[in-house]
Amino acid sequence: MKVKVLQWHAVASWTWDAQDETCGICRMAFDGCCPDCKFPGDDCTLIWGACNHAFHLHCILKWVNSQTSIPLCPMCRREWQFKG
Amino acid sequence: MHLDDADGALDSWARFCSLSGELVGGAGDLSVGPRLAPVVADLCARGLATLVRDYFLHNLEETFRNNAVKMFWQKFHPYCNSSAVERIKFCVQESWPEDVLSIALEDICLEKSYQEKCVLVLVHVLQSYEEKTENKLKTVEFSSSLMPRYQLMVSSVLLTTLPLSFPEILNIYFKKKLEELNTMMDGSDETDLACHELFGRSKVSAWDSKMDIDGQETVISESGNLVRNIGKVVRDLRCLGFTSMTEDSYSSAIIWLLKSKVYELAGDDYRIPVLGRVKKWIQAVPLQFLHSLLAYLGDSVDYESGLSGLKSPLASRPSSFPGIGVPSEALLRWHMRLEYFAYETLQDLRIGKLFEIIVDYPESSPAIEDLKQCLEYTGQHSKLVDSFISSLRYRLLTAGASTNDILHQYVSTIKALRSIDPTGVFLEAVGEPIRDYLRGRKDTIKCIVTMLTDGSGGNTNGSGNAGDNLLEELNRDAENQENADYDDHTNIDEKQAWLNSESWEPDPVEADPLKGSRNRRKIDILGLMVSIIGSKDQLVNEYRVMLAEKLLSKSDFDIDSDIRTLELLKIHFGESSMQKCEIMLNDLIDSKRTNSNIKTSLLRTFETVAGQEETEMSHDVLDATIISSNFWPPIQTEDLAVPASVDQMLSDFAKRFHQIKTPRKLLWKKNLGMVKLELQFEDRNMQFTVVPVHAAIVMRFQEKPSWTSKTLATEIGIPVDSLNRRIGFWTSKGVLTESVGPDADDHIFTVVDSMSDVNKNSIVNESCEAFQMTEDEGESSVASVEEQLKKEMTVYEKFIIGMLTNFGNMTLDKIHNTLKMFCAEPSYDKSLQQLQSFLSGLVSDEKLEMRDGLYLLKK
Repeated sequence: MKVKVLQWHAVASWTWDAQDETCGICRMAFDGCCPDCKFPGDDCTLIWGACNHAFHLHCILKWVNSQTSIPLCPMCRREWQFKG
Repeated sequence: MHLDDADGALDSWARFCSLSGELVGGAGDLSVGPRLAPVVADLCARGLATLVRDYFLHNLEETFRNNAVKMFWQKFHPYCNSSAVERIKFCVQESWPEDVLSIALEDICLEKSYQEKCVLVLVHVLQSYEEKTENKLKTVEFSSSLMPRYQLMVSSVLLTTLPLSFPEILNIYFKKKLEELNTMMDGSDETDLACHELFGRSKVSAWDSKMDIDGQETVISESGNLVRNIGKVVRDLRCLGFTSMTEDSYSSAIIWLLKSKVYELAGDDYRIPVLGRVKKWIQAVPLQFLHSLLAYLGDSVDYESGLSGLKSPLASRPSSFPGIGVPSEALLRWHMRLEYFAYETLQDLRIGKLFEIIVDYPESSPAIEDLKQCLEYTGQHSKLVDSFISSLRYRLLTAGASTNDILHQYVSTIKALRSIDPTGVFLEAVGEPIRDYLRGRKDTIKCIVTMLTDGSGGNTNGSGNAGDNLLEELNRDAENQENADYDDHTNIDEKQAWLNSESWEPDPVEADPLKGSRNRRKIDILGLMVSIIGSKDQLVNEYRVMLAEKLLSKSDFDIDSDIRTLELLKIHFGESSMQKCEIMLNDLIDSKRTNSNIKTSLLRTFETVAGQEETEMSHDVLDATIISSNFWPPIQTEDLAVPASVDQMLSDFAKRFHQIKTPRKLLWKKNLGMVKLELQFEDRNMQFTVVPVHAAIVMRFQEKPSWTSKTLATEIGIPVDSLNRRIGFWTSKGVLTESVGPDADDHIFTVVDSMSDVNKNSIVNESCEAFQMTEDEGESSVASVEEQLKKEMTVYEKFIIGMLTNFGNMTLDKIHNTLKMFCAEPSYDKSLQQLQSFLSGLVSDEKLEMRDGLYLLKK
């Protein structure tokens, strides 16, 4: 007997693979989305800082923009720089 | 003087006796009159007028009783003396009561009229005596009271000797006659014109009481004759003092006929309106009959003049009597009475069958419309409520009825009663038992959600648009209602407002005053459905689980209908509560895009190294649904080792995904999805669409044709019992056969390569039938709501146990409130019902005990 696969429709879930479960700013799950977004994933991405802390992009941008002096990472208080 | 006087008196008395005897007993000879005069005058002069009168009447009575009455009743003896069975034989005879009755009546009336003449002779004698003497007052009284006394005597003699079954005979007579008239009318019923004509003619003929009817119209003359015959009988009966008995008889006959007509017309067909036809028939047959009868008896004139001051509100109704100018009061009353009776009969008939009517509701709307009109007229709504509730309890709210059927019936009930009573008061009363019952059923939520979203299942009757689900229908309804409301509010000028306020009607008396009447304005079917469940969140949650299930078992990305359903649900439940479902659908759309993206790039990569993997599967066959797991209901994952080739494919796909969507990663849920396979045997090919576990199992048999369940289970990475369960699918399809191996609980499965093998092994197959369970199709990939709840509630278990240790025992309410008060992290947000079901779970796990509504720790 031979088995020929005509179609294999699989199911998978995606994850950001951040070390932490939730965003340190909005306390929402990384695999969810920030409070301002409706859809997770492409619409609400994650960003890592040079200090290796991850946040929702929207959250950290808000934070960075709200800082008057040099923006710091909310977690470790080091200067915030996008990991690039 | 004294003696002389006595002698003279005796002499006169003796002569009077013989003369009166001669008069009364004589065969039509009234010549004794002149001879009687001096004797009576003499007796009266002696003050014996009373004696004269009484003796005379007594004489008449004796004669009447002995001759006429005896004869009269004798005619009916054969019937009265017979048993019930024999009576039926009489009734079957065509001319039975008619002939006997008319002959008997004729005879007795003849006798009576002769006696009346006798009375008149005496009256005459008394009057002439009174003229001579001055003593007017006394004799006038005698002469004028003689006739009424005689009439009274006649009727009392007849009534005292009345056989019990005489009213019955009358009844039969009128029934037969009316039936005859009815069939006559039915013949001419086709042409309405004839009917109207008939009215006109019978009126003319009745007023003339000569009845010269045109010979050309046979129906008219026949019916005229018939009515005239009946009229004669009625008149004779009245003349004998049977007025009320006669009236009773013919009215009960009419009512009986009306009833049978309503039954005949209405029957069990709910697709045609019957009220109009019943009304028309009332006009055509009984009213025409009554009109002719009353006119013939000359009553209608009397009634009209006598009762014109007494105008009933009913009489003010515009009347439509074809051919009759101004209908008499009596006829109008009859009309009202008959119509009311018809309404009531039809209403009772329809109420009795309301359950069936509602079962095929959209088709049976004419019957509902009829019922509505009847109820408006009779106002017996409470009868409807009572009878419908009891038939619901008896026929629908039983363990045997499926929840789906109950729900469908409920929806039909809502729709039907909404048209009968737009205020919804009666619906409230009727709906409550159904709702209560549904709340007790476990699968109610599921059924409601299916009904709302699933088009094909929405209409079990096969009526309407099959593809239409309840939600769409509701949406259409809502739009219509909104439009209507819109009109209501914009076009209000003062005049309109005034008209509106004039047309205001109070709520029916049965309305519950606690609920404001404004709430009743709109009957929202969806709202009613949701309130059965309790809250919309529960419904939404159930919908989410079902949607997840549906989406995960899809093998393509076609979700148009789901999107439409979701949009409709959003309208009703608000966007925010449907957010998660929207994300789920969005995942599917994204997956489709990502899939084609990854596939094209993968194919391009592998084309460059073409030839190398020709024997392997192409990446073309792989599709993946990529979900945002946070927004899906908890998904049941199970370890599964898919065949190496597939595994390779999956990891290629995942790698590619990681490249495209850095830094995101894919986590495969290998047990989920759908696989289309083609099994190629020596002599046949078979195609299957199965879940991955099945595919993984069957693909192992490519490597070697026979596996023991234990080794296969370790290869695939699932427990043995689960494997045994799953593999049943393939044995039932005849792909594998099962045999008991050396170890009792270790089964050996062998692939069946050709059909001849199947036959050979069929006996073995059968013996293992009990082992197979093909429930796999029903296996769900998503944890059910109950399981979810149980998982969520376990957090509170230690709180509850702690509470009970401190307090000893507690009621459900108290536990609920305490949890609400003290559980902050995680905050307690469950409903009372949810808590109850969790606690009963604990009770069945023997952790708790429940006694008299109190929960306590199990010792």
